[in-house]
Amino acid sequence: MSRHSAINRFGRSTNPAFSRGFDSASYSATLDEKMTLDGAVNKTGILLALCFSGAFIGWNIPTLIWPAAIVGFILALVTIFRNPSKARSTAPLYALAQGIFLGGITLMYESMFDGIAIQAIGLTFGILASLLMCYKSGLIKPTENFKLMMVAGIGGIFLLYLVNFIMMFFGSGISLLSPTNGSLMSIGLSIGIVCFASLCLVLDFDFIEEGAEKGMPKYMEWYGAFSLMVTLIWLYLEILRLIAKMRSR
Amino acid sequence: MNTIIFGALAIMSLFIFFNLGKVKASRKQLDRTNRINRFGNKESNNIIEGESIEIKNEDKK
Repeated sequence: MSRHSAINRFGRSTNPAFSRGFDSASYSATLDEKMTLDGAVNKTGILLALCFSGAFIGWNIPTLIWPAAIVGFILALVTIFRNPSKARSTAPLYALAQGIFLGGITLMYESMFDGIAIQAIGLTFGILASLLMCYKSGLIKPTENFKLMMVAGIGGIFLLYLVNFIMMFFGSGISLLSPTNGSLMSIGLSIGIVCFASLCLVLDFDFIEEGAEKGMPKYMEWYGAFSLMVTLIWLYLEILRLIAKMRSR
Repeated sequence: MNTIIFGALAIMSLFIFFNLGKVKASRKQLDRTNRINRFGNKESNNIIEGESIEIKNEDKK
């Protein structure tokens, strides 16, 4: 028995702040309403198709990229913090909006570095497939410590992004994040960020696997697919930046 | 050449994702004690050893 008498008496905490209310919904879900691996993968396929359609629009109408980026960002915040159960309606819109943004950004990079888009797309999906194989085979095992390391690393990276964003209003920015900075330090930073973004995929795979295993409600398939899309979009943007830096040398 | 290589990589990777993604992870991955517990324990054990009494439907009536 555990040395902690409170755990022995009451079991593990069921505080909704820790479980975000996901587990309470799972008990009432019937068999055909439960999350499955098939469903999550199919929904990721739908979101990817929507993202590519959006990219086609963004590529042809580049003026839409900033409105689409803002809409996508708001939709992501709504899905994550407001109501994950609404992911069924917000996730497709998010994928479409981010697709428009990615299409425009890719066009900008492509005008500077010919053939960069297909390289970034190939590498992004290559990383996705190889990490999925590593995860499924048990080569990479996500643990609580792994999660803590990822949260700390991502926190640091987003702080860097935030500082850079604020500095942009004053006409400057962190030069290490500039896509045209081909210094070794800048490339090293980009490789580090790409590694973190890639390892986030492992957490997403584990989220989907655990959700399906524990019979979470059907809407979690959309939520799992959405979280995978968020990571893939981040990874793609960082790979674009990394290739641009390497080709600027 | 660049387009063919990276295009093929993307298509092959997507094919792997859509096929392998639907397969359950290995036992090595799933049967671990140090897994991340996001959704809480479904079978939480709140029974205190030696102090629990089984309640039967007949007893309620």
